Amino acid sequence: MATEVYRESFERRTKTVRYLRFLEGLADTQVGPIYLGMWGALAFFSYLLCVFITAIGFGEQVGYNPIRFLRELPVLTLYPPPPSAGLQMAPLQEGGYWQLATLFLSLTLVFWTIRIWTRAVANGLRPMVPIAFSAALFLYASIYIIHPIWVNSWNEAPPHGLRGILLWTNHFSVKYGNFYYNPFHMVSIFALLGSTLILAMHGATILATLSYGAHREIDEIEKSDEGTHRAQLLWRWVMGFNATAYTIHQWALGFATLVAVAGAIGVLLSGPVVPDWFQWGCRADIVPGLQKACVP
Amino acid sequence: MLSFEAKYRQEAMAVPPRASFGLLKIWIGRFYLGFWGVVALVFGILGSGVWFWQVLFVDPNRTNNPLLNFIRGQIAPPPPSVGLAITFDPNKGFWWLFVVFCATVTFFAWMMRQIDISRLLKIGYQVPIAFGAVLSSWVTIQIVRPILLGSWSEGFPLGVIAHLDWLSAFGYRYYNFFYNPFHAIGITLLFGSAFVLSLHGATILSAARKKSEGVTEENVNRFYWDFFGYSIGEIGIHRLAFWAAVMCVLMSNLCFVLSGTVVQDWSAFWDFWNYAPFWKNFPFN
Repeated sequence: MATEVYRESFERRTKTVRYLRFLEGLADTQVGPIYLGMWGALAFFSYLLCVFITAIGFGEQVGYNPIRFLRELPVLTLYPPPPSAGLQMAPLQEGGYWQLATLFLSLTLVFWTIRIWTRAVANGLRPMVPIAFSAALFLYASIYIIHPIWVNSWNEAPPHGLRGILLWTNHFSVKYGNFYYNPFHMVSIFALLGSTLILAMHGATILATLSYGAHREIDEIEKSDEGTHRAQLLWRWVMGFNATAYTIHQWALGFATLVAVAGAIGVLLSGPVVPDWFQWGCRADIVPGLQKACVP
Repeated sequence: MLSFEAKYRQEAMAVPPRASFGLLKIWIGRFYLGFWGVVALVFGILGSGVWFWQVLFVDPNRTNNPLLNFIRGQIAPPPPSVGLAITFDPNKGFWWLFVVFCATVTFFAWMMRQIDISRLLKIGYQVPIAFGAVLSSWVTIQIVRPILLGSWSEGFPLGVIAHLDWLSAFGYRYYNFFYNPFHAIGITLLFGSAFVLSLHGATILSAARKKSEGVTEENVNRFYWDFFGYSIGEIGIHRLAFWAAVMCVLMSNLCFVLSGTVVQDWSAFWDFWNYAPFWKNFPFN
């Protein structure tokens, strides 16, 4: 038993444990007990505020009509302040809601990271999950906070809304000259597709060797057994290379982290350092064809 | 050979061959050969050989720098005038047809090879099934969709930057792929896969090699119950992994094959939304 090193206020677990019967034979069924703790409480209330502010902002746009809210939910958007407002606080209807919602969303993510960290340590684990999560947090911060501050305008940050974030993604790419030519975007997408590939390979390998017990990974890392041996030989015979029960999880964590870190660098360089990735591609001479669109 | 490998090779030798599986049961260094290994080797070398030859020495836009040629070179598909004909004209996309054919055979042989080796190792066929999902993606985009639309020109050019340009143009050709719901589901599963992978990798690394401190599977369960309220378990996480990754690929197949065949404009696709029966006659203020 690991020792509880963190003493928190709100230190309590739910008393009831429930079981999801429909998952029997597929996955573990136990739900709870969930832990609250100070950081959990802070994350919860902070997220509640974020949702509440967003709901008020959306509600104003549809005159608090619930049917209209449902109909227009996919396109309802809280926009950040206009470019003229720079980094100033804006009136509520002109980006103030967005600023407050983003503030509480950011706080939620920070509290959540601390919460995972304290829970990992309290359960005797290394804090690898919060470290991995902080890579995603870095990408979030780059997009929502660091890049807007660097270019001196909250308007650069994504709006809140289902269609809003998709349109922002599209516009951000076009605004900086086509993100397909951004080498960090390329690396990030490579790692993203690579992550899915590794996930499929690892999941399928373990499922294929279930009857030999390869899924007991923590034990297999200490002393590998028949299941892991067969899994390793499968890849060695197929492609001449195999990971071990330990190193496959290093590959996993490395690839998944690279998605966020490379993506964040790609976002941060866009604008202040590289204003147009397509023209960057022209100068690097990697544009196929006659390069008619390249500025000489 | 790995320290334990000899035993499994002997065991594999005792598995009787059946149809094409188990023929040419030979190991070359660490690689297993097998009938399907030979097929994959021949067509793989042929296809990639032609690709490199075209990109490095034939592409009209090539430079003197082989690395640049690797990045910006391409083999373009046949022009629309060729339709679905099998052209032998090297200026009209013959080499595209040739490389796509070789690649398809190679990928298929690779899947058969995985089946072969899984059979010799007496394990399940989940790995070739997962590989089959991504093979179906290649076949859908390069073969099925061009056939449905009646022209090989619908396939993507074989080149690093060229296929990115094609992908970008493809999205805008059907108004905007961000409005494509199957694209949305596919991307969600893509990011979801990276998220699951990062959680799983980090979780195992956080608990690994701590047996002396008494850390077991139970610690991981308690960690997930604590912070998330649910722990999916050692088997469950790998089921989730398999299905997240496979469904991601199958959903992106749908998002490609519906574009141009059934749906021309993914924004107009959503027109039904405002006329849904639930709020069609609702008096808005």
